[in-house]
Amino acid sequence: MSSSRSQTRSNMAGGPAMRRTRPTTARGPRFGVVGSLLFHGLIFAALLFTFQRNFKAPEETHVVPVDLVTIADQTNVAAQAPPQPEPQKMDTPPPALEPPPEPQMQEVEPAPEPDIPKFDIAKEKPKPVEKPPEPPKETKKQQATDFNALLNKLTAPDKPVKTAKAGPRVIQGIGAGNMMTADLSDALRGQIYRCWSPPTGAPNAQDLIVDYDLALNPDGTVGRLQMTMGTAAAAAGNSYTRAAAEAASRAIYQCQPYRLPPDRYAQWREINPLRFDPRQMMGQ
Amino acid sequence: MTYLKKILVLLAALMALGAATPALAALQVDVTQGNAQPLPIAIPDFLPGGGGDPQAGANIAGVVRADLERSGLFRPLDQKGFVEHITDINKVPTFASWRSITAQGLVTGQVTQQPDGRLRVDFRLWDVYGESQMLGLQFFSTPENWRRIAHMVSDAIYERVTGEKGYFDTRIVFISESGPATKRVKRLAIMDEDGANPIFLTPGNYMVLTPRFNPTAQMIAYMSYIGAKPRVYLFDIETGKQEMLGNFPNMTFSPRFSPDGNQVALTLETAGNSDIYLMDLRTRAMKRLTTDPAIDTAPSFSPDGKQIAFESDRGGAQQIYVMNVDGSNQHRISFGEGRNGTPVWSPRGDLLAFTKQDKGRFNIGVMRPDGSGERVITSGYHDEGPTWAPNGRVLMFSREAQNNRGAQIWSVDITGRNERHVLTPGSASDPALSPLIQ
Repeated sequence: MSSSRSQTRSNMAGGPAMRRTRPTTARGPRFGVVGSLLFHGLIFAALLFTFQRNFKAPEETHVVPVDLVTIADQTNVAAQAPPQPEPQKMDTPPPALEPPPEPQMQEVEPAPEPDIPKFDIAKEKPKPVEKPPEPPKETKKQQATDFNALLNKLTAPDKPVKTAKAGPRVIQGIGAGNMMTADLSDALRGQIYRCWSPPTGAPNAQDLIVDYDLALNPDGTVGRLQMTMGTAAAAAGNSYTRAAAEAASRAIYQCQPYRLPPDRYAQWREINPLRFDPRQMMGQ
Repeated sequence: MTYLKKILVLLAALMALGAATPALAALQVDVTQGNAQPLPIAIPDFLPGGGGDPQAGANIAGVVRADLERSGLFRPLDQKGFVEHITDINKVPTFASWRSITAQGLVTGQVTQQPDGRLRVDFRLWDVYGESQMLGLQFFSTPENWRRIAHMVSDAIYERVTGEKGYFDTRIVFISESGPATKRVKRLAIMDEDGANPIFLTPGNYMVLTPRFNPTAQMIAYMSYIGAKPRVYLFDIETGKQEMLGNFPNMTFSPRFSPDGNQVALTLETAGNSDIYLMDLRTRAMKRLTTDPAIDTAPSFSPDGKQIAFESDRGGAQQIYVMNVDGSNQHRISFGEGRNGTPVWSPRGDLLAFTKQDKGRFNIGVMRPDGSGERVITSGYHDEGPTWAPNGRVLMFSREAQNNRGAQIWSVDITGRNERHVLTPGSASDPALSPLIQ
């Protein structure tokens, strides 16, 4: 007790001198400790918040695809309009199909020649003649393709091409690029599949795999759509492949516009290859 | 300042990287699951192009709609909902108006009576989304043949959209059944694929079974009990003439034409042993293919004519076997549950359809010619006797319910979807679909 008191006293005694020599510094540290503690505490708290936010951020990006898929549900409903195949009553009931009452049968006793339809009519008759495509259609198509070409240029500017050669091709196959865009692939897949009705009755499922190069506009509509070279070549020589390619094209158009995060347009502006592969559906 | 500059440069570089990299890499997407749905297609009544029956256009479009709907792959839309009214088939339609009613395909057509009295039918198939013409054809025929023209239009549309040949311009030969179960009358009958124009070919005072078309759809081979002797006969549709195929002391049954139409494979029973023979229709020479003491029957050619599938109980129970057309290399291919019989080779060559008897039920199944990939595609109290549509895509078969009300003909897609009752006048069994009519 006494020693401590004396110490304080001595401190007090020596105080004036000390006070004079470093009054500011003496006062400074005291304020400084509290102040800096507060200050650092604030910074720490601020950092914490920011970090917390940062930690949440990746989760948000992971959440995005999920949101997208659900949004997709809604969009599809709108896009497809009434896709439910509620069998609309044909206003022309096929009379031939109504179970005709027995009397419709023509009795042909032993010699049925007269009642049997003559088959030889077929020989003279129906010769399907390929019609020359009429001019108006051609010109329209021409315009359309020209317009498409124009769109191509608009949607795929030269810029990326310059640096593209080494870059994208390398990145495409490996993890990082795919990881970053896996959610986009899922979102797009989730929106297209509803509209896709592939010709699953074909004998060889391999013939039905088709690849497209699709460029999307920022609003999710189809900007440009073309078969890849391989698919175009296969479709030219195989009617099943052609049918499969057309079914895929109908699906792509029917389910547009696609709902994808606008801020990542750069990542989904081009989809290539957009592959349709019905082998799983066919159990092959 | 310099630090700030460096940081700025670094930041800019990072941003450039972040923005540039994904832009360069095209997104890759694999769509592996779909939603099998019939294609919504708009088929307005064909326009009258002048002369003839003003109703012809509506009639033809009606048959086309019914054909395509029956296939299960198309959904013809109700005309009442159409926004655009086609007035000229040579004008490009307003695709947006057809998209607005969810049509993905559009068929426009016109029927004109030619100065020479013939009917001319033009039609175009449009891709509503692709905004282009997929097909444009013209047919000429006599006016009374309008149904066949309609079926040909259906076949052309079906082929263009699905990639495989149609089967609407075909006929079905079948056994028409009438009378009580104990005294059933079975007559050979024929009708169009859509059930129109049914005609009896035999009078009904003798029983007929298992009719089969030849490759030109002009001739039918079948088994008949004329004079209480079960024998294989040939029936010429054009002349109405029947003839017994060979004159054997014993029963012959289960005939089937070879793909070139020059031979008939059939079963001949001698001393209680049934074996498969090949008869040359020009020389009437018979060649024995199986010699096993078991029952070998129900032969069916592969479409290349090199092999024959058949059923045999040589292994103890009825199973499916395949052999070369000269009788060599006989080997069993069915090893699944139950008994398997009446194999029928698909015209496409990729599958065999057969009747499967298992756990008290009769089902229709398909398997590859090597016996792999067996699938049961229908299941019923008594489904049997499959026959292929010429495109190898659709099967018909006989179905009998437990209530014994008589057999019916049903059709099914080889995917197992679209099972439908084929309407016939009265009970019917043993259908055989013709090849596309030439």
